[in-house]
Amino acid sequence: MAVSDRRRPGAAAPKWMLGTAMFAPSVLYIILLIGVPFVLAVLYAFSDARIGSTGFHFVGFENFRSILQSPGFRKALRNSIVFTVSAQAIVIVCSNILAIALEKPFRGRGFIRFLILLPWVAPVSLGTIGWKWILDSIYSVITWVLVALHVYKPYNAPMWLGEPHLAMASVILVHCWRLIPFSTVIMLAGRSAISKEIPEAAAIDGAGFWRTAFQINLPMMTPILSVAVLFGAIFTFTDMTVVYILTAGGPFDSTQTLPSLAFATGIAGSDLAAGAAISLFLVPVLVLAAYFMLRLAHRAEVV
Amino acid sequence: MARKRQRGMTRRQFAKLAGAGALAAGGPAFLFPDRARAAGKTLKILQWSHFVPAWDTWFNGTYIKEWGQKNDTEVIVDNINLVDLPARAASEASAKKGHDLFMFLSPPASYEPQVIDMSNVYAEVEKKHGKKIDLAHKSTFNPKTKKYFAFSDAYTPDPGNWHKDWWTEAGYPNGPDTYDDLLKGAKKIRDASGHPCGVGLAQELDTSMAMRAILWSFGGAEQDEAGNVTLNSKQTIEALKYVKDLYQQTETPEVFTWTPPSNNQAMLAGRVSYVQNAISVTRQSEREHLPIDAKIMISPALKGPVRRLAAEHVMNCYVIWEFAENKDGAQKFLIDWIDHFRDGFLAGQFYNFPCFPSTVPDLQKLIASDDRANPKDKYKVLGNVLEWATNVGYPGYATAGISEAFSTWVLPTMFAKVARGDESPEDAAKAAEAEYKRIFARWK
Repeated sequence: MAVSDRRRPGAAAPKWMLGTAMFAPSVLYIILLIGVPFVLAVLYAFSDARIGSTGFHFVGFENFRSILQSPGFRKALRNSIVFTVSAQAIVIVCSNILAIALEKPFRGRGFIRFLILLPWVAPVSLGTIGWKWILDSIYSVITWVLVALHVYKPYNAPMWLGEPHLAMASVILVHCWRLIPFSTVIMLAGRSAISKEIPEAAAIDGAGFWRTAFQINLPMMTPILSVAVLFGAIFTFTDMTVVYILTAGGPFDSTQTLPSLAFATGIAGSDLAAGAAISLFLVPVLVLAAYFMLRLAHRAEVV
Repeated sequence: MARKRQRGMTRRQFAKLAGAGALAAGGPAFLFPDRARAAGKTLKILQWSHFVPAWDTWFNGTYIKEWGQKNDTEVIVDNINLVDLPARAASEASAKKGHDLFMFLSPPASYEPQVIDMSNVYAEVEKKHGKKIDLAHKSTFNPKTKKYFAFSDAYTPDPGNWHKDWWTEAGYPNGPDTYDDLLKGAKKIRDASGHPCGVGLAQELDTSMAMRAILWSFGGAEQDEAGNVTLNSKQTIEALKYVKDLYQQTETPEVFTWTPPSNNQAMLAGRVSYVQNAISVTRQSEREHLPIDAKIMISPALKGPVRRLAAEHVMNCYVIWEFAENKDGAQKFLIDWIDHFRDGFLAGQFYNFPCFPSTVPDLQKLIASDDRANPKDKYKVLGNVLEWATNVGYPGYATAGISEAFSTWVLPTMFAKVARGDESPEDAAKAAEAEYKRIFARWK
């Protein structure tokens, strides 16, 4: 008697079907929410598209030429780099310190870890609104305390978001506050992956804390450190929320970044093509950064 | 063998029956959505959450219901925060889907290709109510295409708000009348009590309007009547020098941090001596019965060396998208709305002034004696507002280039850099003119 090919209801699906079904949502997500907008941005950047326009004409590099003439764009590019590099430097140092402090068990470690993770769990917009109130020109709690302690007079207290350098420092501070938990978790995972025998052997050989940290732990953590830096840099470089809520690019464009300028030009200013061209400036920088970080991580793994 | 007949239904039968029932009930609407919409008319409106909440209460709760009943239309109003309007408009225009009527708070010239011409609406309204004011014309008309890209029912004056006690002590019992008074009086107040002046220098709406007022009053302008950039002028440099003095002698860096509500908050907190803002400041103090209410007074735009002129604070600009599903209903709504504008003027507590003055023939009398105000004649000074209020883009039209320069804060940035001493007035005027020319070139 011939055996039927038909699967019985309830029989297990072939492996390739299951794999495809599980993989498909993420592919669709990437294509629809990242791929399509990216292709559209490229098309817009080389066109004369405006918010209200109905036609579409190719204009070559005209949009790039135009935005390069704008001092606001050059300032935004510089700020994006300054914010990213400064924030990452602070984040890596602080998260390393925290990871070392939280590595060994102590009473209340779980609770402390929970507290440190909170800024990462909270929506960035809500967290930034909280910071805006803390740094507000009229209702700042920091200013209130400083005035109450007679450090400053009521009308001469520092305006955290009103002075260019203080505003830049505030933006960097909020980025750090948001990214340190994420980086700390990665560092903790990296440190726990280092075999205990290696630092112990180093200690027997007479290596001190700093030597162990820089010549043993750091090289061994390079792959995971690269991932932390790469993610952190991308989060900071592409972030619009912190600047948009905290300073809106002010005072007088001194905290404007490429994402916030792209939004202001493309959406608020209706110049879609220029907005797209500004946002595309992020792409080569991010691709290069990702390439070098991943290469570094790969080399460290091979070694 | 004959199958035994079952009582009741199997799950499959039930599902089929339920599906058929749902199709029968909602079928026509499901299969022919356009016809379904035509049968029961709907009008969708999007506008801001008004700074005077009583206006939204009346408009959403009373007016649209009455109009909907008379016109057999379900009117749906969505109110959103004013700062979210540009992004919302952009998404509707990109998706070609959204509301039938969309209200901007500044002239939306860049949307012209995607909106219908409002000439007919204006013509119909003018038949009943006479000519619109020049401010409305200049804010909604494109002289090149001869198209009205929006319809303006109302504008909001942008007067000064000043603290009576402090200005009286400084020797100005009627408040500042000129920019010279503002500089001298505000300095005296700051020196005496520490209270700074509150003219904004941030990248936000109120600052934009205040800086335009100063620029025009000193004889400068972004463009001429024909739309040529004229920013880099002797008059602009004088205006820049004035703002530098004003900031350095009377203000603190907080003015660089402000958002639109910040000057309201600073005035109501008793912190600053003068702000330039709409009457939302005093309406809030009245609504919340704040002790400072009786001390905040209103003054017309200040006089500069050349003229007395300020921008409207906000300009209501309704557009009807080309892709709107109920264009006829939207046009009729606007035409009928102007017939009832006086009710809206009262509900909004004089925040929205009429673009068709005949709709509120007793405006002078109403604002001269307001029971909510303390004193009752607080708003009387707004009676001659049309002598000192003009459109963004003055003396030209509110074009797409002007709109982009406005939205990307070119003017506030120019003034702020000079005020801080980061750039000389000459360099700042030159750089801002170059930026205006770059932006204008993109819209040609």
